[in-house]
Amino acid sequence: MTGPAVTRTPVRPAAAGPRPVVPVRRRRGSGWQAYLFIGPSLFGVVGFLLLPMVIVLVLSLFDWELLSAPEFVGLDNYRRLASDGQTWHSLWVTVAYVLLCIPLQTALALAVAMLLNQRVKGVRFLRSLFVVPWMATPIVLGLIWNWIFDPRDGALNSALALVGVTGPDWLSDATWALPAVALVSVWQHTGYNMLFFLAGLQGIPQELHDAAATDGATPAQRFWRVTLPLLNPTMFFVTVTNMIGAFQVFDTVYAMTAGGPSGSTEVINFRIFETAFKQFDFGYASTLSMLLFLIIFLVTLAQVRFFGKRTTYDLS
Amino acid sequence: MTKRILLYATLAAGAFISVFPYLLVVLTAFKTQGQLNSTAPWLPGLPPTTDNIAEMLAGDFPRFILNTALMTAALTAGQLVFTTFAAYAFARLRFRGRDVLFWLYVATMMVPSAVTMIPLFLIMRELDLVNTWYGLLAPYILGTPYGIFLMRQFFKGLPAGLEEAARIDGAGSLTILLRIMLPLCRPALGTLAIITVISSWNSFLWPLIITSGDDTKVITVAIATLKQGIGVDYNLMMAGSLIALVPMVAVFVFFQKHIVRSVVLTGLK
Repeated sequence: MTGPAVTRTPVRPAAAGPRPVVPVRRRRGSGWQAYLFIGPSLFGVVGFLLLPMVIVLVLSLFDWELLSAPEFVGLDNYRRLASDGQTWHSLWVTVAYVLLCIPLQTALALAVAMLLNQRVKGVRFLRSLFVVPWMATPIVLGLIWNWIFDPRDGALNSALALVGVTGPDWLSDATWALPAVALVSVWQHTGYNMLFFLAGLQGIPQELHDAAATDGATPAQRFWRVTLPLLNPTMFFVTVTNMIGAFQVFDTVYAMTAGGPSGSTEVINFRIFETAFKQFDFGYASTLSMLLFLIIFLVTLAQVRFFGKRTTYDLS
Repeated sequence: MTKRILLYATLAAGAFISVFPYLLVVLTAFKTQGQLNSTAPWLPGLPPTTDNIAEMLAGDFPRFILNTALMTAALTAGQLVFTTFAAYAFARLRFRGRDVLFWLYVATMMVPSAVTMIPLFLIMRELDLVNTWYGLLAPYILGTPYGIFLMRQFFKGLPAGLEEAARIDGAGSLTILLRIMLPLCRPALGTLAIITVISSWNSFLWPLIITSGDDTKVITVAIATLKQGIGVDYNLMMAGSLIALVPMVAVFVFFQKHIVRSVVLTGLK
């Protein structure tokens, strides 16, 4: 589960009005009790998140294939990385995947949110239908979409045949496989992201739109000058969380193409999995993990900067 | 008026695309092999057959469903309990190192789960927990930083006056948490429960890595191996998919309002 990395909640001030002045009692014992309260989760965070980070960093400096004893090799794995064409290929595939799905699923989500933000009959029901794809187990989704993309009896090519078009072999065609997998991501995430945009849109006071309209702004101008800037925080949240998820995509790729055909969908996370759990090359796989971590970190940082530079209007 | 029609048409088309694959699963799951070949994918096979479902249920599938349900229940229960305690402490108690620890938690939210998989596996291997329930559950049962963050924000939003009044009456932190805070944060707990149920039920990479035997096999892993097992018998595969999807769709239908609220809670407030 990837969480929103950077959200802030304005702390609501305690009950307004004059508060009775009471001598604040020293909260004796609350110290050890607090540690007791956070104890289990702290154990989890240290043992299953922090320790693994340290291990992966250390392991990336070792040559270790599980059966033999680990051997310290310094930066050898990183040097190997520099000349490892297959990994750079995987990276490129991952970037292509991100570029294929993020802009499309963000734009579509915003568009649907704007459509659903009007007075439409049955809007609640429609909204739920759009969110349904998000519920599905990604691995099951992969299976279903495999069937849709099946070149012979699949729904897509059967439908195309009706209009006289011969569809490609989608998932076994090196050109189409990655777009097909990306399409599944778009299908799954559009509705979910739509909910965020909808919440964001509903937070924009109608007066602003009215004022802009009175001043003679066209609908297009209102969108670019009013709606979009005011949605900045939502846009930030949606793109950051989606990108973090997209860079780690695994389940759908595993179910749909297993990296093929001829490596055209071999995203970096899939390569890490193969290196570690198929080739048992744990040292090098750790190096690849560090690379993925670094990339996600830098991309997130870039987004923080990008969105931070733009003005955010506080409406609360 | 035309604009109105266009709006409805667009929305209807979008909604149709959203549910179409589900529709396909249902239609295909009830087709015989013969009907599968003779009818278009989007048409029902008549008369429908329940053979595929029966065949899937006759095998090991119910056991994997049960395993998944157990895992989901354990992870959700753990998440709710441990997260509530930790989040309350972070939101309302004063103790040394609180802020540093909290930022540590927030920082770990940025670590991609893909990155910690290898060391987690090695830790479990060292502890001899590979292919056990402990190994499967341990990393996620103690509460995730994400859940703690969510609940802390909620606790912070509750009026402090309530708590102070109870303290003056001599209530301890535990009493306050259980008697006063918990009833107030039922909606947030509901949200957290749903998020955890969905992500546990759908989890794949970790179960794939840590389990290998049937005793701990979950539905996602079973589905993934299904494909290799029965080749391209799509009607059987769709029957299996249907069985795996039904519980989540049920959750969705029942808790729809919570889900929409969860989005608002987690994302923007």
